[in-house]
Amino acid sequence: MFEIRLGDKGEVVCEGRLDASNAAKAQAFLDALAAPEVVDMARLEYISSAGLGVLLRTQKRLLQSGGGLRLVNANRHIRDIFRYSGFDRIFQIDDGI
Amino acid sequence: MISKRFQRSFDALDQVFGFTRRFYECEEVPDAERLVFDFCVEEIFTNFVKYNRGNLQDIELALDRSGDRVQVSLTDFDVEPYDISRAPAVDISLPLAKREPGGLGLQLVRRLVDELTYDYTNRQSRITVTKNLR
Repeated sequence: MFEIRLGDKGEVVCEGRLDASNAAKAQAFLDALAAPEVVDMARLEYISSAGLGVLLRTQKRLLQSGGGLRLVNANRHIRDIFRYSGFDRIFQIDDGI
Repeated sequence: MISKRFQRSFDALDQVFGFTRRFYECEEVPDAERLVFDFCVEEIFTNFVKYNRGNLQDIELALDRSGDRVQVSLTDFDVEPYDISRAPAVDISLPLAKREPGGLGLQLVRRLVDELTYDYTNRQSRITVTKNLR
C-alpha cells in the first residue's frame, strides 16, 4: 500500500511503502506540483531505490528553479538508506515540519 | 527453507512481500531487519526483471533462517550471466547536478548485508545475500 497526497500545510505526505510497483504514481504526483518543498515521511514505512529515483528526479527539476525538497520525519531505515545513498548531501533532512 | 516462484513483473512485488512477511512472522525476524531483507529482495528481483525483459520465466525466491543467520536467494532462469559484483559503483559524493537515477540498488544491497554471492550454473543466475541478525 502506498499513498501520496497534499497535507494541510501544503506538504507532500507519503504513507506506506514506496517501491518499484508504485514509483510511477509518486513521480506523476510530484511532477504535477510546480514547486513542492516538504515531503513528510512520518508514515512512510519503506523506500527502495525506485523511490530514491523519484526523489532524485524531483530534486534535479527543482534545482533549475532554485528550489529543493526538504525530507522530514523519515524513520531509521529510510535515514540509513539516505545516508548510504549520499542523499544526506543533496537533500535537507529534518526531524519535523 | 521456503521458496516460491513469482511472475517477472513489478506488479508481483505485493505478492513477493506477502511471502516474505509470512516468513518473517514464522521465523520471528525483528522488524528493523525485515525492511532490510525486503529492500534486498526488491532490488535483486527488479534487477532481474529489468535486465532480462524478453524472458518469460518466473523468478524464484528462497528464504532460510538458521540460528541468527538469514539467507535470501533469488534465481533467474534461462538467462545470460551477469555478475552484479562487477557492476560499476555509483559515486555518492557527486553534487546533485551530476547525480543520475539508477545503479544504486545493488550497491545498497551490498552495504546492508554481511555477504553477497553470485552463482551462474546451467543458464541460471542466483544471487544470495546473508545477514546475521543482531
